[in-house]
Order: sequence, then C-alpha cells, then structure tokens
Amino acid sequence: MSTAPLPQQERSSRTGRKLMSALYYLTIIVCMFFFLLPLLWMLLNALKTPLQIVQLPPKLIFEPTLDNFRNVFNQQNFLRYIWNSLVIAAGSTVLGLVLGLPAAFSIARYKQKKLAVFILISRMVPGITFLLPLFIMFRTFSMVDTYTSLILAHLLVGLPFIVWVMVPFFESIPNDLMEAARVDGCSIFATFIKIILPISLPGVVTGGILSFIFSWNNFMFSVVLASNRTKTVPVAIFNFISYAQIDWGGLMAAAVVITLPVLVITIVTQKYVIRGLTAGAVKG
Amino acid sequence: MKKFLAPVLAFCLLAGMASAGQSIRFVASVSPVADAIRALLPDFEKETGITVEMEQLGNEQLSQKLTVEFASGGSGIDVFMIRPLDEARMLKRNGWAVDLSKWLKDDADYDFADYSEGSIQCTSVDGFQTSIPLINECQVIYYRKDVFEKAGVQPPKTFEELEKVAAAVTDKSNERYGFVSRGARNALITQFSSYLYGFGGDFSKDGQALMDTPEAHAAIDYYGRMLRLYGPEGVHNMSWPQAAAIFQQGKGAMYIDASSQYPSMLDPTKSSVADVTGVAMFPAGPTAHAVYDITAWAIGIYSNSQNQDAAWQFVRYMTDKDRTLILQGEYANQCARMSIYNSPEGIKKLPADWVKAVSETGPIGVGHDRPQLTAVAQARDILSEPVTLSIDGKDFKGAAARANQRFQELLDREK
Repeated sequence: MSTAPLPQQERSSRTGRKLMSALYYLTIIVCMFFFLLPLLWMLLNALKTPLQIVQLPPKLIFEPTLDNFRNVFNQQNFLRYIWNSLVIAAGSTVLGLVLGLPAAFSIARYKQKKLAVFILISRMVPGITFLLPLFIMFRTFSMVDTYTSLILAHLLVGLPFIVWVMVPFFESIPNDLMEAARVDGCSIFATFIKIILPISLPGVVTGGILSFIFSWNNFMFSVVLASNRTKTVPVAIFNFISYAQIDWGGLMAAAVVITLPVLVITIVTQKYVIRGLTAGAVKG
Repeated sequence: MKKFLAPVLAFCLLAGMASAGQSIRFVASVSPVADAIRALLPDFEKETGITVEMEQLGNEQLSQKLTVEFASGGSGIDVFMIRPLDEARMLKRNGWAVDLSKWLKDDADYDFADYSEGSIQCTSVDGFQTSIPLINECQVIYYRKDVFEKAGVQPPKTFEELEKVAAAVTDKSNERYGFVSRGARNALITQFSSYLYGFGGDFSKDGQALMDTPEAHAAIDYYGRMLRLYGPEGVHNMSWPQAAAIFQQGKGAMYIDASSQYPSMLDPTKSSVADVTGVAMFPAGPTAHAVYDITAWAIGIYSNSQNQDAAWQFVRYMTDKDRTLILQGEYANQCARMSIYNSPEGIKKLPADWVKAVSETGPIGVGHDRPQLTAVAQARDILSEPVTLSIDGKDFKGAAARANQRFQELLDREK
C-alpha cells in the first residue's frame, strides 16, 4: 500500500520532465521562427524576380534567379563598397584596440573611474552631435572622403566600447600575477604585453569583433563623411531605392551580401564573445 | 592665431586651385534622370573643359548630406538636386541656394517660360528661383483595359463617374478592387490633394489653413468613402509601393497615383497585367478640374560655391531644350518643358496614352501636392488624421477642426 503511490509519482514526474523539455524546444522553435523569418524572407526574395516578389500569397516554391546578385556585383560595383567597409571597419578596430587596450588596463589598474565615465559619455552622446564638428574638421584638412577620416570617426563608435568591455576583464586579473611578473623584473609595459594580454584574449576578441560589427553597420558617419571613393555598404544599399521605383530583389540580394560576413564572423567567434561579455560580471 | 590661420589659408589656397582647374562637384539623387545626366557628362566636359565630380545618394541620405554640409558653412558642393516641395523653402530660408533668376531673365535662347506653370510654382519661393525643374509628375489613373471592357465602362471624366466606375469594377469576393490608392498616414496627403482641388479647396491660402471648410470636408468624405467601399484590405498601411503591388498582382481595376510610376506599371517583368494596363487623365471635380502637377526633382546651385559661373553653365547645359529633348526622348523621363511634348522626338519612347494624360494635365496643373510650408512632414501627419477617420467611416468633422487648428499653428510659426 505504501509503495503504490511511488511509481505513479515517478511516472508523473517523468511526464512532467518530458513536457518541460517539449515546452523548452517549442519555445526555442517559436523564438527562432520569429527571429529567422525576416532573414529567410530576405534570402527568398533575393532569389525572386520582381514579378514573383509582389505575388500574393507569396510562393515558397519558385524558379530561383541569380539576376539580383549579378546586379549587385556587376551594375552596382558592390565589391568596391565591401572593400571600403572592410578597410574602414578593420582600420578603426585595430586602432581602437591599440589605443583602447592600454587605456582600459590603466583604468583598471589605477582605478581611474572618472576617466572611464568620461569615455563612456562619448558613447552616450548621440553620434549625430559629432557629425558637424567632424565634418568641419575634416573639410578644413581636406580629409573628407578619405579612409583616414572615416576610420577616425568610427573610432567614436568602437573605442569606448572596447574600453568598457576590457576594464572589468583587467580588473578580474589578480594583482598577485602582476606583482610576480614585477618581481621577476618585468616592466609594466612588458607585463601588459606578455602576461595580461594573452590571458585576456577572449575579451580582446569580443571587443574587436563587436567594434568591427558596429563600424560595419554604421550609416550616419559614412553618409556625410564618405563620397564616391569611400562609400560603404550601408549607404550603397540605398542605391536600390530609386525615384518612384524600388528594386526589392536587388535590395534583398545586397542585404544578403552585407549580412553574410558579419554572420560568419559571429558564428565562428561566438564562443569568445559570450565569454568576453560575461567575464567580470560576477566578482567575489 | 597663427596656428589657426595656417589650415584656413591652406584650405583657401586649395579651394582657389580647384576653381582654376574648373572642376565642379554635383551631388545627385539615385534616380533615372540623374543616371541620364551622368551619361551626358562626357559631352559637357568635352564642350566646356569643366570636369564634373558626380555623386549619387538615396533621397533621405541626400537631404541629410546637404543639410550637414551646408550648415557647416563651407561645403565643396557646387550643384545639387533637391525635392523642391520638401526642401526649396528651407534652402531659401537658410540662404543656401543661389537665386537663379539673375541668369534666367536675359536668356531668350534658354526660354525658361517653356517650363510648365506648375513646375515654376514649385521651384520658386516668393519670386526666388531656388532651382530648375528636372522631373515632373502628375496624378493619373492606371486602369485595367480588359476589366473595363468587360464591365462596359470608360475611364471616368468626373468624380461622379469615378465612383460609378469603381463600383462597377469592384468585386471584393474575387479580390478585385476598383479603387486602389494610398491610405497610409502622411503618404496619402499627396494623392488626396487633387480631390481637394477638385472640390474647390486647398490646404491653405495666404497663410490661412483651409482644412475645416465645406470643400475640404467634401474631399475628405469622398476620398475616405472611395477607399472604404472600393479599396483593398489593409489600406491604412499602403503607401505607393504597397498600393502599386496590389495593382501589379492584378487585383486592382484602377490605381490612382503619380505618373512617374508608369515604368513599373507598364513593364511586363514587373507587373503581371502590364499588357492590359492603360493610363488616363485624373477626373474633374464638381467645382474644378485641377490636378497636382509638381516637380519631383530639381537642380540648384549652392550659395557658397566658389564656381558659380561654371555651375550655372552645367545646370543650363543639362536643362536647355536640346538636352531636355534627350533626357525625355532617349531616357523617357517626364520633363517639365512643355515644347518637348509637341516634338515627336521627345515622346517616342513614352506610351501614347500616358503622353496624352500628362500633356493634358499640364495646363490645369496645380504646383503643389502637399501643404506649402517648411514643416511639411509634420503638417502631412496632422492633416492625415481626418482622412484616416473618414476611410474608417467614422465622423471626421471634429478631427478636421482640430487638425486645421494645429496646421494653422504651424503656419503661424513660419510667418
């Protein structure tokens, strides 16, 4: 009599667990559906002709065309825009790391909290505030429409971010480690290069990747500071929206082309990014 | 002080050198007319020795770029393209545009009077010629010839007929809508404007808001009723791309919007009903036959440009009679010079019924399709409200009075 309820309880807990895991996967599927639908939509329309795009209800099975992609690369010269974006994003990220890592280290090591807040302000102020002063400066030095001016402008986006990701990272490194290096005759600079940086690699990767993506997606600075020579992809994509005509297929194909590099980078480095973002979140 | 002077001097020197080399910078929109101008650049450069550095940007980006560069006080832009109804007033107010009248008045060869009345109204602000019209558009009816034939109806000539025809060709159970037009807030204002004029109204006159008048009420009631009874589902979300798509799918019997959209309406790779689509003139209202006929894109000169004469040479070249003939005749743009419509060369690549509708609209054209003030976007939002209510079949009179008052406040602010 006393053993009877047990299996039932066990059974009910087992079905409960099953139900929970079913619910778990259902939630994931529903969420994924909503997140991925726009991407799927983009991909499908990139492969459709203008006539197929406006069809209602939309067809899921259709004869795909690569015309839109041909248009993106042949008529619109997107390779050039992608190259511009790459140079500017990579340039501002590398420069951001070169300046931001020592800055973050110094802030963490010497507790320069005020400096950190000051850097954060430049991230909190809307970017458009900087636009006019930057334009006037660059124009004065004849630097409008050069990679240098865009790299410098994009630093405003990436640098504060790199600093703020790295400060908690460096703070979480025990002081003993640095003192040990010091005892062995390492200068502060050598300690930073040889010891601190290698163990902070996940943070460096996170800061770098996100700064790269922010720069890649940045639209506002490029609209005003770039011209024919340095036009970047987020600006170029508007070439498909013409007066009284919208080339949806070309627009979607260009969007696929723009998203792809960022998607690949994110998937490859995902592991680091999550570690980097959560590091220093819990400190004892 | 010296530190400050050095770069400034260097800049002036550079600017001076640039003008000696006769090079101008032209910032244009992404549009068929700008593409055509780009194709004509080599001819211009060969004839004049002036080199043109041209850049093309989307609508909003172009506005943004011009604003930032001009606000900085010393942009390197010499020639620019604008949407005059949205930007001409702002350009004049901020002193960013050159008044082109000084070149126009003694130039008989150029013949500025050849431009349509609506297009001149559009580009000049109180006698200040901000820019030269490049591209015009007016409201027309795109209709399904096969559906009309089956129903035994002709393209409507009056608002009354328009409603009768719409009723005759609407078959909602088979997803066939007799009246497809814009229903989205803000976007609808331009297409609503010709109804307003047809009933004898206008958005404002001499700084006085007129949206709470019997004429305006009649127009709001009519436009709302047409979309409610004969329009497609979800019309509140339709600006032109959505409304055009309904027609392109073959679900509309009439689509009323800008003449500039004919390439996507009559191209079989873009519309499934292109071969049976006809174009007709916008009908007459009970009070007037007045249809918007406006300049969508115009070309102007920056007031701080160091190369104003070269810039005018460029603008004049691209807009004189010979070039306009090419822009319209070869590249099928809707230009604003009326003489071009009388030349077979000028209309050879354009559909005949479209040419008829557009050239007949020219003389009765009204030079604005939206409220005329600097805060256009805001005014469009405000005035959309009663129309939106009317589409839903609700009482809009109170909303019209409120909208009129808020519109008046906007107008007063700009006095």
